[in-house]
Amino acid sequence: MNPMSRRTILRGLGTAIALPWLEAMAPATLRAASAAGGSPASPRRMAFFYVPNGVHMPDWTPGGPAGSLGAKLPEILQPLAPFKDDLLVLTGLTQDGAFAHGDGGGDHARSLASFLTGTHPLKTAGLGIKAGVSVDQVAAMKLGNATRFPSLELGIDRGAQAGNCDSGYSCAYSSNISWRSESTPMAKEINPQLVFERLFAGQLSNETAEVKARRDAYRKSVLDFALEDARQLRGKLGQVDRQKVDEYLTSVRELETRLARVDKSVALDLKGVRRPTGIPRENPDHIRLMFDVLALAFQTDSTRIATFVYANEGSTKSYKFIGVPEGHHDLSHHGKDTDKLAKIKKINLYHMEQFAYFLDKLRSIREGDGNVLDHSMIVYGSGISDGDRHNHDDLPILVAGKGGGTLKGGRHLVYPKNTPLNNLYVSMLDRVGAPMPKLGDSSGPLPRLDG
Amino acid sequence: MRAPAIRNVCLFACCVAAIGAMAEAQTPKAAPAPSGFAGQVLPVVTKYCVGCHGPEKPKGGVNLARFANEAAALKDLKTWEKVLEVVKSGEMPPDDRPQPSPADSTRLTQHLESLISKASCRVAQDPGRVTLRRLNREEYNNTIRDLIGIDFRPADDFPSDDVGYGFDNIGDVLTLPPLLMEKYLAAAEAIASQAILADDEPRGPTRRFKAESIGKPGTGHVEGELGFWLMSSNAEVGVDRAFTRSGNYLLRARAFGQQAGKDLPRLEFLIDGRPARGFEVKAEQHAPAVYEAKLKIKMPVSRFAAAFTNDAWYPDLPDKDHRDRNLAIDWIEVVGPIYSLPNDLPESHKKILFKKPTPLNRREVAREVLQKFATRAFRRPVLATELDRLVGLVDLALKNGDRFERGIQVAMQAVLVSPHFLFRVELDNRSNVPKTLTDLELASRLSYFLWSSMPDDDLLDLATKGQLRTGKNLDLQVARMLKDPKSKEFVENFAGQWLQTRNLKLASPDRGRFDKFDEPLRQAMATEVDQFFAAIVADDRPISDFLHADYTFVNERLAKHYGIPGVTGEKFRRVKLTDPSRGGVVTMASTLTVTSNPTRTSPVKRGKWILEEILGTPPPPPPPNVADLPDDDDRDGNGKPKAPATTIRQRLEKHRANPNCASCHARMDPLGFSLENFDAIGSWRDKDGPFPVDASGVLPDGKTFTGPVELKKVLLTKLKPFSKCLTEKLMTYALGRGLEYPDRCVVEKVADSVLAGGGRFSTLVSAIVHSEPFQKRGVEGSLAP
Repeated sequence: MNPMSRRTILRGLGTAIALPWLEAMAPATLRAASAAGGSPASPRRMAFFYVPNGVHMPDWTPGGPAGSLGAKLPEILQPLAPFKDDLLVLTGLTQDGAFAHGDGGGDHARSLASFLTGTHPLKTAGLGIKAGVSVDQVAAMKLGNATRFPSLELGIDRGAQAGNCDSGYSCAYSSNISWRSESTPMAKEINPQLVFERLFAGQLSNETAEVKARRDAYRKSVLDFALEDARQLRGKLGQVDRQKVDEYLTSVRELETRLARVDKSVALDLKGVRRPTGIPRENPDHIRLMFDVLALAFQTDSTRIATFVYANEGSTKSYKFIGVPEGHHDLSHHGKDTDKLAKIKKINLYHMEQFAYFLDKLRSIREGDGNVLDHSMIVYGSGISDGDRHNHDDLPILVAGKGGGTLKGGRHLVYPKNTPLNNLYVSMLDRVGAPMPKLGDSSGPLPRLDG
Repeated sequence: MRAPAIRNVCLFACCVAAIGAMAEAQTPKAAPAPSGFAGQVLPVVTKYCVGCHGPEKPKGGVNLARFANEAAALKDLKTWEKVLEVVKSGEMPPDDRPQPSPADSTRLTQHLESLISKASCRVAQDPGRVTLRRLNREEYNNTIRDLIGIDFRPADDFPSDDVGYGFDNIGDVLTLPPLLMEKYLAAAEAIASQAILADDEPRGPTRRFKAESIGKPGTGHVEGELGFWLMSSNAEVGVDRAFTRSGNYLLRARAFGQQAGKDLPRLEFLIDGRPARGFEVKAEQHAPAVYEAKLKIKMPVSRFAAAFTNDAWYPDLPDKDHRDRNLAIDWIEVVGPIYSLPNDLPESHKKILFKKPTPLNRREVAREVLQKFATRAFRRPVLATELDRLVGLVDLALKNGDRFERGIQVAMQAVLVSPHFLFRVELDNRSNVPKTLTDLELASRLSYFLWSSMPDDDLLDLATKGQLRTGKNLDLQVARMLKDPKSKEFVENFAGQWLQTRNLKLASPDRGRFDKFDEPLRQAMATEVDQFFAAIVADDRPISDFLHADYTFVNERLAKHYGIPGVTGEKFRRVKLTDPSRGGVVTMASTLTVTSNPTRTSPVKRGKWILEEILGTPPPPPPPNVADLPDDDDRDGNGKPKAPATTIRQRLEKHRANPNCASCHARMDPLGFSLENFDAIGSWRDKDGPFPVDASGVLPDGKTFTGPVELKKVLLTKLKPFSKCLTEKLMTYALGRGLEYPDRCVVEKVADSVLAGGGRFSTLVSAIVHSEPFQKRGVEGSLAP
């Protein structure tokens, strides 16, 4: 098949960016593979979606015979019915790092900071913050060179603006899921407009190739200047300050590498696309617009790795528009009150409906002999199981997508109690081509994912 | 008679340990224990800690059996600071181990606190060491404003700064992920191209205003997900001071219309109310369009508005969707005055490029220009080698055939992404004794403390000459800085975080229950607390005003909320309070709202807030596996809030029956109960649902009191702990680091000196500025935990 011209058209409807039918559009790597006569291998993506304050587990865990999702999905998973064949529900996984281990309260902060790292975050309100490298960043460092952006970190809430976030833990823990190093959290982007402009800056500007080349050259000189300053400064500083400069150096180098990288992403003709303008006021619109942009990023192969946080851990957000005016966190301490449980379930269901919207987008993008969802592994879950008990075992975890044929969906897998959640990540890293024998507290790969 | 709270013996006794201020009167006098370390500390430690932390395989390597007496303990204060911390926080002893009685923990922690505080005053003062701080978002915005002279807040697009120790200017948590570096580079380019002109393309500063934030209530409403302001009758959205000087301007509005009748909706650009340009709006909801006019503006004019002028309503048309003609606006934008080379230059251009080069002296001029710019940006004289490299960037541009101005832009960008600009660098002097900061380093500490921005020329000059500490200069500078309008940054950043009123933005009271809550009220609440704090600073009032004052600041909206008569209009003004239940930060609508749940008040959160932010004795976190309050406040079948069957007090009392909870809640709840006359948005109520409000409380020391007036009286007797608490918060903010045990002595001294000096706010600021931690920089490793 003839790879289509790089110019394709995206059309927007409503406020959201609608994904167009892009028959022959495929990432450059895939086209190159085809052109070379090899078998086309679509890139594999991974993403991690996080919901705070736990989930109402009785309506999450499938009840049927072992291995099966049952004739009817549990209530909270119902929105995923159209994706049943792409769905693995994993029961019995634990994120041990989130437990207190003698550090007292602070389950919310620990839950988010440990969710993708599998480490026990150091209890501190500031000095020496420390978690671990998160699975998405492990993959980004290994595979990031293939795409324009090694990874995207998206969310809905800003980090906290004041006060104590959770029992003596810095707010860095309760606001960040992705950790570049054990001491550098990757701040989330929450404004869909800025993400969109960042992704498609090249196509949004109307400068000539010559102007662009010169600007890129100046950028390089500017960053070289910065590197030189930092190197000189580093030698004059004590150990702790030096770590800060090292963080700076890492970021500058990464930026330089990115600027030097040849853009292999699929170009979009943005004429006629209704671009996001700012942050939508209502939570459902905000989430969906973010999902639109993330789907575009996958579609154009601008990145293959992403995290998305529905709300910061311990969120007190109220969900009036679905009839839940109470704060989420307050509700999650339900004391088995049936009304409260029903409301938590409503929130869980609402989040899941948005997730289904995202999966639907991915599935609608054709790629190679299938669609983007076929080539993805999308984890959805929480670092807290029951919001009232704050327990971090038996977590609500599911994976959607076929992982390029490496996952066999349509099943409910039950693992022995206290199986590390990080075992799942080790298995995923293997599947995206960034193998890692051990990550955080993992004890090995997670068996049976492929049947 | 006192009824000691220690009657509430419970398993989670560690809670009570943290009583601090409230527990002063609580130490049982009936059975006086032997005094001193041996009498107060050792027995408790031996009984509850040494089991694990003994000489045989001590847990965590901590052996507490090796301290036979006070002298031994004094030699290892770090260990005892840790003991104090974990006992206070409830981490130790672990839940599955025997717990000390509340009286025992109190004895232990109180004694340790005074031991450490006294000891830290005796030993050579360690001033501590702040971790290299990068500018946070506010500081970046302000610094750019003061450096360039344009206030366009580029950092608003940066990712959030993380918060540590309750503040967002803490070096340890101000990290720099690649995303932020990318934003820094983009901002540097945007700033350089806004500040100076480098090509023939005319341009001007752009200001965009979201219609929903400038639309007057009652003239329209927010429509759609992205917040269009829909005007359903003739109305306008506009801004004052849109024009700063005469010149060419581009005016824009993004809009769509809802059509009815034969005419299209009409959009009119008004300048000071006079029509300047009109448009027929064809664009519809699914595809809004930008309408633009190029206009020559002659001062003095001020207001730019976009108006809807041909409202129509045809109730009889068969097509229901086309009966009503409306106009919706997303934003309006003012671009200008528009500048162009070579003669129509913006102020920032003239200021930075203060000399015009000739073809012969371009390098020399570049050097002079960049020397001045980089010195201000780095907040210290730029080094010759740095300057060489900067001039090299101008050379590069010239070699490329670009304009001189373009070269200056590139060099500016380099300065703006340099670590010397982005970080507040303080160097060591490589010796084993703490270093006194250089005058320049001190100048930066001062300006970021009091202005959240770079030093101005006066401060920088004084520091460069090495005269900042000469004579009374330092005090004069502090006084000048507190009077400067830029100190409003201090008010907003410090007060907003200390009192947590920044969280007002996130507050979401349930409008079904609190239908009076809306954006103007939210805004008014925030303004009140800022203006109140600013008045205490400006008038140098005693810090006791925070606890109670007979004045506050209101506009019509807030006055109505408070039931204060005779205030009209949007403008805020100072009013004298006749009702003593208001006045002071504890009874402000802002703080009462951020400590409430969306659907109800939370006496627990309010009590906790007072303990944390006013008395400085935060309760430990709740033990795991404890259910929260049963809420009991569902809606009935019609979606209307159902009346609760029980009061919050009754529910909390049930909660307190659980011994796990009792000891802490005995401290938090009564404080919160006394504020029950204020609902979840801080307006006065006599009834909570069908129940009369019971605002009585009992303190752990047995003292009973009722309502906000008596609460404030109780708080006013706690001036010493309040002074300490405020000192701790302000020092954390001023230093940009968490406080450590050597700081205890300083906090104590500062707090005492403030009270001794009549409690004036300026005394507090001045005492902190003169303190060792603010003046000096410790040796690496000295504070490592």
